[in-house]
Parts: sequence; C-alpha cells; structure tokens
Amino acid sequence: MSDKLIIGIADMKMAKGEGMLVTYALGSCIGICLHDPVLKLGALVHIMLPVNMEAGRKTPMKYADTGIRETLRLMESKGAKRNRITAKIAGGAKMFEVGSSSLGNIGQRNIESVHMNLKKEGIRLLKEDVGGSVARTLLFDVNSGLGCVRSYGRPELII
Amino acid sequence: MAIKNYDELTSMELDTLREIGSMGTGNAATALSQMLGREVRITLPEVRIMGYNEAIEWIGGPEEITAGVLVKMGGQINGIMLSVQQIDFVNLVLESMLKETIQDYSELAELENSALVEVGNIMISTFINALSGLAGVDVTLTVPAFTVDMQGAILAVPMAEYGGQSDYIMTIGGNFVCDNKQVPCRLLMSPDLRSLNALLRKLGVSDE
Repeated sequence: MSDKLIIGIADMKMAKGEGMLVTYALGSCIGICLHDPVLKLGALVHIMLPVNMEAGRKTPMKYADTGIRETLRLMESKGAKRNRITAKIAGGAKMFEVGSSSLGNIGQRNIESVHMNLKKEGIRLLKEDVGGSVARTLLFDVNSGLGCVRSYGRPELII
Repeated sequence: MAIKNYDELTSMELDTLREIGSMGTGNAATALSQMLGREVRITLPEVRIMGYNEAIEWIGGPEEITAGVLVKMGGQINGIMLSVQQIDFVNLVLESMLKETIQDYSELAELENSALVEVGNIMISTFINALSGLAGVDVTLTVPAFTVDMQGAILAVPMAEYGGQSDYIMTIGGNFVCDNKQVPCRLLMSPDLRSLNALLRKLGVSDE
C-alpha cells in the first residue's frame, strides 16, 4: 500500500501487480480507472475536458477521447488484452450553480464523452460515481481492481 | 501582437496586469474594511501564470476544504472571478459580522453562508468596478454561486473553462492583512485569452 502514485490533472499513471493510484479533488474532471485483472495492470487517467480539438495534441491526457485511447494503447503495449480491460469512473460534478451560462455543464459533457469513448473502444464500464455537486478523491488499487471515492461530507464509497 | 498563450505575456503587459490587480484588490480591501469595521490592507498584488498542478499546490493542496464564491464575467471581458475563503478568513468575517467563529466548515448554516457569499460578491464587484473604470470596458457579472468543498476542485473550474485554450491558468489577485495578521483571502480573476488581449489593447500596452 505504501507505493502510492499520485496523478495530477491531465496526467496518467500505470502500475502492475501492487500499487495504489490516487488522484485528488476531481470536480468536473473525471478519473478513469482501467484494469486488466489477469495481468493486474491498472491505469488511472485524470481528464479535464470532453473532446480534444488542439492542433498540436501535446497533452492527450487532458481530454476524454485521446486520454482513453492513448492509455489503452500504452496498456496494450504492456500486454493487456482489450477484451479483458474494464473501467470504473468517478467525477463529472457541477461545482457551482451559475445561472444559464454553459459553465458547469463541463462535468456532464465529460461524463457523456467518457461513456461514448469507452463504448467506442469496446471497454466495459463496471461501476461509476459521477455527477452531483461534490468533489471527489479517487483511489484505485491495481491488485484488487477496487476503487475508493472520498468526498467532503459524504461517507467513503467503494466502486 | 496578440498572444496565443498566457506564458507569452511580456514584462510590460504583466506590469499592467499587476496594476489592475493592485487597483482591484485595493478597492476590494476598502469594501471589506467597511463591511467588517476594521482596517484591512493588501499585500503586494500578484499576477501568476501557472500550470494546473502548480496552481493547486500554490493554493495549498488539492484536498483542503474551503469556501468559494464564483462570479462569471461577461460583456466586453469574459472570464471567471473567484473568492477562495480559507478558514481564517471565514472566521474573520463571521466574528466581525455575526460575533461567532467556527472550527469546521460543517458548522456553516444558511446565515453564515449568505454572509460569506455577500462578502465575496462585494469584493469581486468592487474589483471589477476598478478594472472597468481603468480600462473603460463594460463588464457584466452573474449572480454569485457558492460552494464549500475541496479547493482543488474549486480552482479547476476556471482551468476547465479555459482548458481548451491553454495549458496554463492566469490569476490576478492578492492577499489581505487585517490587524497586522495576514489573512489568506484569495481573490482571483481569470480572463479568457481573447478578453485578455482586448484588455491589454484597451490599456494601450499591446500594439495593433
């Protein structure tokens, strides 16, 4: 348990066998845990926006579409098999209720994009804790494939 | 030259933004001082351009719980203004206005919340008034929104809003000093890139 890897915003880390992947304070962002149970290979991506429209594409992990695709590619290069990989996700909250502006819809758009891209890549979504208005810290144990969601004013949730 | 990313700002442009920060937080401090009935000064205003994860470390770590008041700017300048209120600031406000203090954010009820929203909103509005007078731009403000949650997620709101334009976040703001004690009240203005260019042009530090 001591080898805790911290994943920042627009970042991804992988661990195999043993290890805890952690990403803090997901607001409208989404943490995506991808897991191959046979290899006990796990990856956690912290995406911020639904669709990559950057010209240079220097930061694929910032976006749901390129983040999922790139992480799957890296997992497969380590021997993971597409048909075994499963996903668990948390985040996509609306932190502030601001009138009629588009602000705050980012969380919802992120959820939809993650769902769509997982489906497109043929990855089964096992569990999720998304939406609402709370920030979430997501911990992901690559050995068991279990996720734990910590929020302010809410009991811990195992996903 | 219009900039395409926040890290392309020249030192003259940064100085101008610092001046806006100074005027803005100065006015906000005066307003705060009147509301609290105490002397409030400002420390040196800051203009910071930070990577996402750097910004979260700068505000004091992702998981720390804070209160946040958010207002969206529209009209000639688009952007987000945030008042991030850590517990010392919350207690300063509550003690002055309601004669009470809290140990933990869970003790906040409706009355306390509305006091914090009001204080945040007035500071933000006075900041924007100063900006709008200085640059001669019309800025509209939304009704303030309020939340108590992890500050990393609060700070991620302006980041996500402008994340498609840049890998950096720019903040203009400052800290306050009250009764010779530094009070960590962070007033942050994050304009979008186009508005930032427009603002610099209006202030005469950007050619074309």
